[in-house]
Amino acid sequence: MKHRIRTTLALAGCVAVLAACSTEDPDAAPAGGGAEGEVRTGTGVTADTITVGMLTDLSGPFAAGAAVQVTETQAYYDQVNTEGGICGRDVEVDVQDHGYDPQKAVALYRSMASNVVALQQVLGGPTSAAVLPLAEADGLYLGGHGWAGVALQYENAQIPGTTYSIESANAIDYLVDELGLAPGSKVGVVYFVGDYGSDSLAGAQHAAQQRGLEIVPQEITPRDTDLTAQASALQQAGVSAVILGAAPAQLASLAGVLAAQGLNVPLFGNTPTFGPSLLATPAGPALEQNFYTVTSIAPFSLDQPGVQAARDLYEAAAPDGETGWEVPLAYAQAELLTTALRGACDAGDLTPEGVVAAMRKTTGLDTEGLYATPLDFTDAAQPPTRTVYVSRASGQAEGGLEVLGTFEGPSAQSYPVG
Amino acid sequence: MSYFLTQLANGLSYGLILGLIAVGFVIVFTSTGVLNFAHGSVLLTGAYLVAVLQGPVGFWAAVVVGIAGAALLGVLINAVLVRNLAEANPGTAAILMLGVDILLLTELTRRIGNRVLPIGAPWGADVVAIGGVTLPTSRAIAAGLAVVVFGLLWFLFARTGTGVAMRAAAADGDTASLMGIRLSRTGAAGWALAGALAAIAGVFLASFPAPGVGPALAISAFAAIPAWVLGGFDSVVGAIVGGLIIGVVTALAVGYESHLHFLGRGLGEVVPYAVMILVLLVRPSGLFGRAEAVRV
Amino acid sequence: MSEVLRRLPAALAVLVAAALPFLLDDFWLQTGLFTMAAVVGAIGLTLLVGVAGQLSLGHACFAALGAYTYAWAVGESGGRAAGLGLPPLLALVLAGVVAAVAGALFSPISGRLRGIYLGLATIGLVFLARHLMVNLEDATGGFNGRTVEPFSVPGFSFSNEDPDYLAVAGVEFEGLHRLWYLFLVVVLLAAWLGRNIKASRTGRALANVRDSETAAAAMGIHVARAKATAFVISSAYAGIAGALMALAYGRIAPDLFGLQLSIDFLIMIVLGGLGSIAGAAAGAAFVVILPLVLTQYSSDLPFLATPGSGGLDAATLARLLYGAAIIAVLLFLRGGLAGATGRLRHRRAPHPADTDDPPPAPPPPSPAPPGAATPAPSHPGVPTRSKETSP
Repeated sequence: MKHRIRTTLALAGCVAVLAACSTEDPDAAPAGGGAEGEVRTGTGVTADTITVGMLTDLSGPFAAGAAVQVTETQAYYDQVNTEGGICGRDVEVDVQDHGYDPQKAVALYRSMASNVVALQQVLGGPTSAAVLPLAEADGLYLGGHGWAGVALQYENAQIPGTTYSIESANAIDYLVDELGLAPGSKVGVVYFVGDYGSDSLAGAQHAAQQRGLEIVPQEITPRDTDLTAQASALQQAGVSAVILGAAPAQLASLAGVLAAQGLNVPLFGNTPTFGPSLLATPAGPALEQNFYTVTSIAPFSLDQPGVQAARDLYEAAAPDGETGWEVPLAYAQAELLTTALRGACDAGDLTPEGVVAAMRKTTGLDTEGLYATPLDFTDAAQPPTRTVYVSRASGQAEGGLEVLGTFEGPSAQSYPVG
Repeated sequence: MSYFLTQLANGLSYGLILGLIAVGFVIVFTSTGVLNFAHGSVLLTGAYLVAVLQGPVGFWAAVVVGIAGAALLGVLINAVLVRNLAEANPGTAAILMLGVDILLLTELTRRIGNRVLPIGAPWGADVVAIGGVTLPTSRAIAAGLAVVVFGLLWFLFARTGTGVAMRAAAADGDTASLMGIRLSRTGAAGWALAGALAAIAGVFLASFPAPGVGPALAISAFAAIPAWVLGGFDSVVGAIVGGLIIGVVTALAVGYESHLHFLGRGLGEVVPYAVMILVLLVRPSGLFGRAEAVRV
Repeated sequence: MSEVLRRLPAALAVLVAAALPFLLDDFWLQTGLFTMAAVVGAIGLTLLVGVAGQLSLGHACFAALGAYTYAWAVGESGGRAAGLGLPPLLALVLAGVVAAVAGALFSPISGRLRGIYLGLATIGLVFLARHLMVNLEDATGGFNGRTVEPFSVPGFSFSNEDPDYLAVAGVEFEGLHRLWYLFLVVVLLAAWLGRNIKASRTGRALANVRDSETAAAAMGIHVARAKATAFVISSAYAGIAGALMALAYGRIAPDLFGLQLSIDFLIMIVLGGLGSIAGAAAGAAFVVILPLVLTQYSSDLPFLATPGSGGLDAATLARLLYGAAIIAVLLFLRGGLAGATGRLRHRRAPHPADTDDPPPAPPPPSPAPPGAATPAPSHPGVPTRSKETSP
């Protein structure tokens, strides 16, 4: 008896559900386009506000640098809003903290995707890797995800500069052309496991092949802060230069140990490798002697109007804040998205898809020194530029880096991205 | 050859520092049955105190405060939290320590930010060279000091009343308790000792060739877990030997990675754990652990 | 009648879970999927820890195995990473089987170690698994991982396509909604199976091993085999959980399966109450949902500093509250979340008929004696060291 009741109930439930089922989409007809001359809007845009999202790490390992970027981005849009906003609307930034946890990042992305017109930033390797495919499926603009070459396969992602691979290829070219590294020399590459480090290694390997050098790779993890063993191995291999694709803690250790071993060779780092507080550590003198950095974003101290504007904004917003590459980067990223938003507005399509389309029409964008050359985003598979800034560590310069100039070598030009 | 010796010396000195951390794990575990997941943040707290205070009061005074602070922190964690668990078993205690770790690490991360705080040690970035072997001075001092500390530990456990009481409590808490040993005291002593050892290790882990004190320092305590496990979970000697083994094996794996490419990239991270599992396959209770033989 | 009453809460919970997709937005649906995947893994772990008294911190390894097995089995054979092109249902089963086999291969260690010793030994598995995931690029896609084909049965896909549009009672059912029901079915199966295992001959043998290996051996239980069996069952659960995680993410990479995942599983079951299936579910919800809720709502608090200004900001506060919540549960709730609700129910209904939960502590909760006594011998726990040790 009991079983029969249960079966009947179950059947009734199914029938009821089926009756309510439908596979005909009532909204399938093209969405209302609005009247002539009016801007079409979608998710994240109302009559008076535009909401952009930032999915960042405010409680995990990158909290400090991420907070600098949040501060600068907020300051940037506050300024945009006081100057009249974009498309007659104020820009609001919705900041959420994923704590470097991909699971939280995906869940928070789901909450954001229905409220924002674009994602100003998704910080972190594993977190942006988890979110990128989802944003691609939703056709949502995504920026501020670092410079790893793997992101170039996404139509909707705007890489904020050139890739780590091209930075490293430029480093090799600079070693050969400017510092006179002899053919047949060995170059050590110490790199983080992962999309950042392996991209850096790939660029260096390509360039070494082009220029007749040999690469000695050493893989490390972010947990390694004592690189004595790696430094000894590099010395044993007889390297004449080292490229580092890691973080400040690793740079300080490697530079210090190499110098202590009497191996005073040029040491090149990718953008995230350097932090100004390193100059106060015991490795400071070694850094000032040997360290160069190749960055696609301008160093903090560069004397150019774009970078000056970023500095002024930041010093007003956070007078005692850290002075690293995060400041010009956050400013540049906000400028990139603002350009896309204005483009979408001019094209009359301020929807998420419209923003991506406008971003892909961005060409010849002059950033007043934030980047070394004008930027071109029309081809998703290509980086917007292949030119980098080359700088040296210096205790005198603000932000700890003294700019030597811009550089674009032959192997950086020939590096096959993707 | 000198390359091999350099890597060996490097591995041994690093292994002795790992030993300091691993011994802390052992002492906390045997004295209170707690798997101390917060050991890393206690270590970081000690190192942070040294880095912050070395400017105003000088390095050596800062070290004393750092060691005392870490020891006190351990005692407090034990007295306020561990002893008040709703139900005391190793599982809940381990998770409790994770909660403590989240609190400490979050607060320290906020305070440190993305700075790297110099530890301010007088030996700076010096190196010592004997023959063809070079070793950072800080590591040479660390190795010497670790040996002295281990000697003091031996004296403590073998020759003093407190040490003997701690050993008795570790061997059989119930019986020791019946014989008048106060487990609350031996527990507190264990936590204090572990905290002090962690702070010493922290000072050296933050010294050259590492850059200084950053939040990542807390994770370095986890590197001592394979050392602790393969030495045997309840053996101080095992922890020291385990630290040496892990230190040497890691240094050699990294140093000769170019010859070991068939094993995959990034060997340094996995080798300690691979060695640990191999040892456990042969000796399930570790090299020096008490075998859990049960006759029926 | 009493049986109906006893099952009422569970039935209600299932009904609510089935109705939720009609109400929730994407954020909560996604969170729900992660939670349900975690519930399956936590049930497996609570069978190992709570019932058999063994501890594992290697569950991330088995979850990774399940996830990659699933992705590899359903993957197109000509894709960027290798694949077999098998039907998804078969792949899901295969995920559990492969993880179970891996668990069995570990039996030389899992059968000989006990309690927290096993827990520490299994940490090694997580790092081994990570090394393999990063280096076996052909099958795993290396560090950048590989995409996961959506789950489907012939004619119906649990994604946004095929059918492209589906609405039930006026609510559009997209991939997240469809996956919700798949996950719910798997969770119910896992819970039902878990309950049966607990009550079965194997389960009682495991509980005997937990309480005293010597006594269990004297009763004719093959202790090493029993411990290895528990480990295998629990690994299979972890494998299925990993496959569900893969489906919930849509793309998997080695970073998703780090030591933190193992630790999270352990937090879930300890907070939930060791050995309790309902507790495992409650613990999973606690660990997955609480940090998200804290993050979402702490940013609305007025007194907090902006990030980067050096003051106490919302994200930091959320993290601190999460840590404090874990500590509070462990200090004040005997038997975890399940034990606490069990006591609440106990007070209202005097019939001690609940087999779902661990033996509830005697009501009213006696205040813990200062100096935290040893656990009651019958209570699920993890032994530190054997009392039968012969030196």
